[in-house]
Amino acid sequence: MRHRSSRWTAVLVAAGLILSGCGNGLLGDPGGAASDDGPIRLGMLAPRTGSEAAIGPYMQNGAQLAIDEINAKGGVDGRMLELVVEDDACDPKTAVAGANKLIAAGVHVSVGGYCSGATLPTLPVFHRVKIPMIIPAANSYELVEQKLDNVFLINGTGDQQAAAAATWIGKQRAASVVVMHDNTSAPRDMAVRTQSRLASTGVKVAVEIVTPKESDYSANVAVALRAKPDLIYWTGYFQEGGLIIRQLRHAGYRGAIMVGDGAVSAKLVEIAGATEAAGVFATMTQTPDTLPGAQGWLSAYKTKFGQEPGPYSNQSYDAVRLAAEAVRAAGGTDGAKVIAALAKVDGFPMFSGPLRFTPEHTLSSGGFQILVVKDGRFTLADPLT
Amino acid sequence: MLQVLWNGIFVGSFYALVALGYGMVYGVIRLLNFAHGDLYMVGAFVGFISLSALGVRTGGVGIPLLILTLVATMLVTGLLGVALERLAYRPLRGSSRLSLLITAVGASFALEYGVRIVAGADPQVYPVRFDLAALEVLGVRLSGQQLALIGFALALMVALHLLVSRTRRGRAMRAIALDPRASALMGIDVNAVVSQTFFIGSALAGAAGFMAGAYYGKIDFLMGFVIGLKAFTAAVIGGIGNIYGTMAGGILLGLVESVGTSVLGGQWRDVLTFGVLILFLSIRPTGLWGAPVAERA
Amino acid sequence: MSLPAVLNARWIGWLGFAAALLAPFVIATPYAMSIMTSAAVFVMLATGLNIVVGYCGLLDLGYAAFFAVGAYTAGIMSTRLDLPLLATVPAVVLVTAGAGVLIGLPTLRLRSDYLAIVTLGFGEIIRVTAGNLDFTGGPSGIYGIPGLAVGGLDLSDPVVFYYAVVVVVSVAVVGAARLSSSRLGRAWRFIREDEDAAEACGIDTYRTKLAAYVAGAVWGGLAGVLFAAQLSAISPASFTFLQSVLVLVAVVLGGQGVSRGVVVGAVFIALGPELLRDVADYQYAAFGVLLIVIMILRPRGLWPGRAGLGRRDA
Repeated sequence: MRHRSSRWTAVLVAAGLILSGCGNGLLGDPGGAASDDGPIRLGMLAPRTGSEAAIGPYMQNGAQLAIDEINAKGGVDGRMLELVVEDDACDPKTAVAGANKLIAAGVHVSVGGYCSGATLPTLPVFHRVKIPMIIPAANSYELVEQKLDNVFLINGTGDQQAAAAATWIGKQRAASVVVMHDNTSAPRDMAVRTQSRLASTGVKVAVEIVTPKESDYSANVAVALRAKPDLIYWTGYFQEGGLIIRQLRHAGYRGAIMVGDGAVSAKLVEIAGATEAAGVFATMTQTPDTLPGAQGWLSAYKTKFGQEPGPYSNQSYDAVRLAAEAVRAAGGTDGAKVIAALAKVDGFPMFSGPLRFTPEHTLSSGGFQILVVKDGRFTLADPLT
Repeated sequence: MLQVLWNGIFVGSFYALVALGYGMVYGVIRLLNFAHGDLYMVGAFVGFISLSALGVRTGGVGIPLLILTLVATMLVTGLLGVALERLAYRPLRGSSRLSLLITAVGASFALEYGVRIVAGADPQVYPVRFDLAALEVLGVRLSGQQLALIGFALALMVALHLLVSRTRRGRAMRAIALDPRASALMGIDVNAVVSQTFFIGSALAGAAGFMAGAYYGKIDFLMGFVIGLKAFTAAVIGGIGNIYGTMAGGILLGLVESVGTSVLGGQWRDVLTFGVLILFLSIRPTGLWGAPVAERA
Repeated sequence: MSLPAVLNARWIGWLGFAAALLAPFVIATPYAMSIMTSAAVFVMLATGLNIVVGYCGLLDLGYAAFFAVGAYTAGIMSTRLDLPLLATVPAVVLVTAGAGVLIGLPTLRLRSDYLAIVTLGFGEIIRVTAGNLDFTGGPSGIYGIPGLAVGGLDLSDPVVFYYAVVVVVSVAVVGAARLSSSRLGRAWRFIREDEDAAEACGIDTYRTKLAAYVAGAVWGGLAGVLFAAQLSAISPASFTFLQSVLVLVAVVLGGQGVSRGVVVGAVFIALGPELLRDVADYQYAAFGVLLIVIMILRPRGLWPGRAGLGRRDA
């Protein structure tokens, strides 16, 4: 028996040697090493299938727009930028496979990440090979809690947004507030933080949780209205948000409605209906819509992709610009140097304002403002400064 | 509380409409048609595309035009259901039921992502908004469109009832549900009846999809998944394969959900719903009106 | 089974094992290792479900529940109590077996499609509850789960981890096959073929079915441990109804009740969508059509038991 098994081992080893002679086998070059010259590859994980499939293209387009602009000006130190997009389907397993695929494709910086749940398991994957991650959308606190040095969030944190919401609610003198969310990571985080901030100022707060991806929220609406709120704050995304606004209004609710950044989209107004959505407030970072002088950005986006920008288009655009800036400052694409350069960025202009990272690698200031829907568009209501 | 019950009944009538097709198909070929919810989704998109093609703008739209679109939608989804049965299910009629289940899953993927290729992943918004005046009865807000939709769903169910109980075709369906082999020996054209069943069931799902699109406004390529799950649940509660049980099961599911949300809060709704379902089935293992399922049919 | 057939099966098993061992020599990019490891974990899941569906003929649409229970038990214990992952295995076995009994007890008297909806319901209850509770981390789940280590030996390098997974999964596959040829396995198949006759022959069908359920639960739970070790973060998003359905698809597609078929089916389902990644928009539509075509061409699965022996072959 021993004789046979040793013969088997020999056969196996021989087969292994022969096989790995060609290609990316264990004994050959396993690939994945990003090159130090040639194009700078930026990798993006974004949902293109599954329940969040609608978001992926918005992020990809935003990033592509920045890449084309930078390349048109000659790239970074003569090196062109290249975007590699992989689907994460908002599914942890698919995201990890996608992250590894990006690494195998030799990306230098990651500029993706939308769903917190799917982004979390990709952190150690990128960390192991020292690839800096500039995360444009996902903003759960869990992402930075592990204190991985390569992780940077450029979306305002849930707490910053909750603070903006609480400030505005205070200004509105609302006495009774219902916060609604869809029990996914970021919206829940925001809702919980808003609730505790409001409760400490003596506002009566109730929380109502809905199941995402459904059509009928009348049961949730009925529960929310039982609290007789002056203001209802929806922290989830635009699909459900539009339906909820519509169903709130049709149930006879006349108080104020406010939504979080994930719901700020032209589609929200379309789904809710122009009449129903009129006067809806939103907590949001500066957008091209509200930033003086950004009309050029809007029209460039529309010309290029034939549609309006959507959720996280501008954060993805900024993520790419920031990546280019960090590579320039680091004098190359070496992971450790780019990470160091990112940590030192001071005052880089972004939609959310001049960028500086906190020691936790989140934005030092979220730059949240209050928008309001007027004539079917989100416009600036209060800069909160 | 009455408002909560009304909301439940309204949602439940959608569940019932979709569950009927589920139950009918199950009745004749014992197939859990996973793709059934996706036919609801296709119905919503067919309606959307035809209304857009007709150049309907937001705002006033005639009821006749809506009904015409609805009929066209039912025709298209019905035929799609027939085609699905021909291509994906009929070749496997003699095989194990699980094999059929797998093709149904495959069909579900193909329909969902097929629509995604055509219409994109972004949710679409219906060009018409069905707006009628609301009225209040006993403090319950009933909107005109809710009443119209429930009325229409009821009409479809009554029509189905008449079809199944009063016509030769209906008798053939019931015969096949009882014993397909004996029915074939009695001279019933099993293939034709199965096709008709798929047509009717799919058309009902398509109608529900169109109505949901016109009422809620937002449609997307994965919208059929959740309602398929709910319809399956409703069909089982009622006693799968039994038309009246299925209708009752749909309404009951809507009520349990609505009351559950109201009592326990939205995040525990599904836990409560499925908990009730499991408890209910442990006590009454064949659903409300179901006959014991023959294992070796 | 005749002797040549046994040998035949053994050879094929060894061949598969050798192929799994040699694969990294052909391609060892991080991406390849990642999807191959996922595929191996998926094989373990399918093997577990095969005990329930393939051997015993019980339709289970909520198998992801056990996967979740295993992953969460391992994840919570290793992060909160600072235990190495390996030390959580006894607890995982206990908890998942308990979950199997808990779910099985009230439901196993139900038949076919009623059992299907009840298992589906349990799957949803587990997932929704995990998303609602604080100690399971809510919607973000558990993160920072340590990699696998044996003694002081770190197995978290992708290639090393892949080999560890392949070994564990191979043992699980062989274990399930052994179980199926035992006395208990024969009772399972008897129930699958004809429950009433089995009962009439003196088999305690209820307890026998429960045994299949518990065995399936433990396999699923252990797969959950591997999953937690691979991803380092778990959340309710990984344990959806769709996941349960895909495991079932793997079992049936490969050839239910037959180990080699189930392994092939699982590898196909796990790698199929990944290999179709590059056709992007057409990925899942193509995958769906492929499922239909395969089932029509091979209604008994990709690699079922031999035709002469019909479904009785294991």
